[in-house]
Amino acid sequence: MLLPLLVRPSLCSSRASVLLPGCIQMLPGGAVARTLHFQAEDFLRRRLPARLVTQSRGRKWRSQQDEWRTRNKTVLTYIAAAGVGMIGLSYAAVPLYRLYCQASGLGGTAVAGHDTEQVATMTPVKERVIKVTFNADTHASMQWNFRPQQTEIFVVPGETALAFYRAKNPTDKPIIGISTYNVVPFEAGQYFNKIQCFCFEEQRLNPHEEVDMPVFFYIDPEFDEDPRMARVETITLSYTFFEAKEGQKLPLPGYSYN
Amino acid sequence: MSTAMNFGSKSFKPRAPDKGAFPLDHFGECKAFKDTFMKCLRDNHFDNSKCRLQSKDYLECRMDHQLMAKEPLEKLGFRDLMDPPPSQADKDSKP
Repeated sequence: MLLPLLVRPSLCSSRASVLLPGCIQMLPGGAVARTLHFQAEDFLRRRLPARLVTQSRGRKWRSQQDEWRTRNKTVLTYIAAAGVGMIGLSYAAVPLYRLYCQASGLGGTAVAGHDTEQVATMTPVKERVIKVTFNADTHASMQWNFRPQQTEIFVVPGETALAFYRAKNPTDKPIIGISTYNVVPFEAGQYFNKIQCFCFEEQRLNPHEEVDMPVFFYIDPEFDEDPRMARVETITLSYTFFEAKEGQKLPLPGYSYN
Repeated sequence: MSTAMNFGSKSFKPRAPDKGAFPLDHFGECKAFKDTFMKCLRDNHFDNSKCRLQSKDYLECRMDHQLMAKEPLEKLGFRDLMDPPPSQADKDSKP
């Protein structure tokens, strides 16, 4: 019956008991109206006295409202905390990702812990012989004759090695060159440490001058312990010379250079 | 090329040398040492371990002629080639 549904909300008001019979008496259809009227009176009589009803229902209503309010507050606090946490996480992700890349070597990032002091204390791993081949390139517009003086050299990790390139300027005017290098395979590049070489700085050759360019390097002893390097027996070091013009910066391969 | 732009692909990141760049030997002051070193390499089938003494000599020449910053040889990895201290005079140094 729809009547209980209609009546319940209005039970809070003490005036409902007065209004309701009046409404029902106004409805057409006398017999139906009378039964409805009796039912309504029954409903109304089942209520507690009006004053107490409003008080107890009101208290319940208020406490329920308070409960909702506190619940809303806690939910809002949780949501705000989650929002702040997300923002903080997005800021923290930058150094965390960098650490992860260094630990996993993803993207060929330089492994942390490469320090220059280990040169003095490292011991050669004599069982592991690596062949280092040398390659020399020049940019198309660079007129130097640039070539390695040895095609390959056999080194062991942990031992410093020296290698030479030769460059000649066959033209009649001085040319300034600047070079960069590349190591293949890429993963081995992180173990290939150069102590001193001739790259990344401008080198000037006078007309018809020929110089020897040394590269002093070593392979990190940890190379032998890396399972990914277990099958690597040849490392190729490749230098490329570009002509340096005044005020021009050399575009270095890769994203970061430190 | 190492400028592949796809994420996760291995790429090579060139690093600057630890001690910077060698100045060019325009006057060929250390050419003799270099020739000795290259000859040693050729004679030993390009085995670097056998020619470390010559490479040490070359670097010492560079340091003497202001073509390289002076460094103790230990820092260049030649700890085993250095003269032993007086207290261990009878200990052999093996290359």
